[in-house]
Amino acid sequence: MEIKTHISVKNLNIWYGQHQAINNISIDIPDKKITAIIGPSGCGKSTLLKSFNRLIELQDGAKVSGKVLVDGEDIYDPKVEVTHLRKKMGLLSQRPQVLPVSIYENVAYGPRIHGIKDKKKLDEIVQRYLIESNLWDEVRGRLNSSASKLSIGQQQRLCLARGLAVEPEVILGDEPTSALDPLSAECIEQRLLELKNKYTIVLVTHILRQAKRLADYIIFLYLGNLIEHGPAEEVLNNPKYLKTKNYLEGKFIEEPKINKELNLKRTAYPNNFVTAKLALGDLEFGHIVKIIVDNESSAIEIPKAIEHEGHKILEVRKLNQNDWEIVVQKHNGGYVI
Amino acid sequence: MVRLRSPQVEENIFIGLMIASTFIVVSSLILILATIFIKGFPALNLDMITKTPKGGYYLGKEGGVLNAILGSLILGIGATFLALLVSLPLVFYLNLYLKKNSKLALAARFSLDVLWGIPSIVYGAFGFILMMFFGLRASLLAGTITIALLIIPIMARSMDEVLKMIPFELKEASYALGATKLETAIKVIFRQALPGIFTAILIAFGRGIGDAAAVLFTASFTDSLPYSLFKPVATLPLAIFFQLGTPFPEVQQRGYASALILTIIILCISIFSRILSGKFTKHTIK
Repeated sequence: MEIKTHISVKNLNIWYGQHQAINNISIDIPDKKITAIIGPSGCGKSTLLKSFNRLIELQDGAKVSGKVLVDGEDIYDPKVEVTHLRKKMGLLSQRPQVLPVSIYENVAYGPRIHGIKDKKKLDEIVQRYLIESNLWDEVRGRLNSSASKLSIGQQQRLCLARGLAVEPEVILGDEPTSALDPLSAECIEQRLLELKNKYTIVLVTHILRQAKRLADYIIFLYLGNLIEHGPAEEVLNNPKYLKTKNYLEGKFIEEPKINKELNLKRTAYPNNFVTAKLALGDLEFGHIVKIIVDNESSAIEIPKAIEHEGHKILEVRKLNQNDWEIVVQKHNGGYVI
Repeated sequence: MVRLRSPQVEENIFIGLMIASTFIVVSSLILILATIFIKGFPALNLDMITKTPKGGYYLGKEGGVLNAILGSLILGIGATFLALLVSLPLVFYLNLYLKKNSKLALAARFSLDVLWGIPSIVYGAFGFILMMFFGLRASLLAGTITIALLIIPIMARSMDEVLKMIPFELKEASYALGATKLETAIKVIFRQALPGIFTAILIAFGRGIGDAAAVLFTASFTDSLPYSLFKPVATLPLAIFFQLGTPFPEVQQRGYASALILTIIILCISIFSRILSGKFTKHTIK
């Protein structure tokens, strides 16, 4: 099945002051699917998400390099109108944040600032998106009362309606159910599943079961690095790399102890593979070797070939523009660190 | 073993301290109000608030202080309005457009804090020099501008504290919908901050209408009702100051009556603005 890309991240780095929160990530996010970004807290999930609508720029000291292409257009291009971009990206934040106006005005706020003045049209929009977010029946009689008086679950659905009302193409969810009770959370999940036919949805979540229920595609981040990504089935049931496996099993993630480092820059496949194979031959079973290569084809081919030899690939990671790191454990029948 | 300082004793000592502080504050307010009321109420009559001073005795033992009441109201409201024109843009700039640790914001906040501490007589002297420079004479306009300068730091700093309390997520929610900073400021932040902004305006107004030193040189004093921006104007604090300063007990008593009137004005405006702010803020997120 041909998968269309909606958001394409290329060599993205994000710093908060001195601290690098996102480390050279390149990834394609599929169109009209739910993509879940998973990983332990502080791994840069929300940072990555907020780089998609440039909300990250509002953080003091945040610096971004690299590209994020939405519909093929680099959103960090100075010519891009940021308000126009954000209109395309609906955001559902961790805690629902309603505006200090009535329920009606909350939904009408977005369309209004984007130029819709006709009262009848606004009424129509408000009703349509309140229905779409499954809130209409609960609030139809009190559209003019305060949004802040709604329950927190209702507030989150109101935020969804408010986001949909500006007719975005993408819905960004930053752990949108984490502050909600189970029933409200299920309601939001249900909405997201219905909405994925019309919108590309990117969801940050730390609830693995939620990722399992919703996601078509998984991105696993660890300490600002992209560890693994792929179709949800594959990543969740059959993770390729050690860190992903440990995370999914709820085990402590630690950096593997490297026994040998192998710099194979400026050599091409299959020559570098032969060098790596010989080096592995000298190692004891269970020992770990880190191989550094400087071209993408080697980074794709070497792991395949090494796996074919029966060794275990623990991690393949892009270090910077050119270099890749492949971490291999000499096979002895299981993972040992 | 006997513990000399049991937690309960410690707790009681501190609760005692807290109660004493509260008592001092509340009782001094009651004492001041009682003094003004007891001394001023007998002299308070309809003439006081409907007539200008008459009947000799320097500042009059008959007639009223309508000139000062009107003068103070016009001057106070005018100055509050001027200060608002400066303070609102300033605090929105500080809180929405400048970064948290920007040097300019730091400098602006520091200036406001220092300006807050400058005594009002210094503002009066400064206003006087400014007035001379522009060739103005002691007038309603000069007094209004001086009082505006005096209350800008108070108003701006109080509003600043209010805007600082606005959760970042609220701004984020608005930006995420594609709103510009200006739209966010006017339609979201302003609404959420409205009760605090009202309070800030009120504090500044109370300070402005009650100040005598700043208007002493700049607005001067007159027995006639205010009728021109460029003519001197009477104010209640100065009326009180002059009346209490006379050697005649009748006039002194009228001074207390004037003080009572000033207090009642501030009280009324306080209550009125509370009601008004309640009307505007029913949607505010608690």
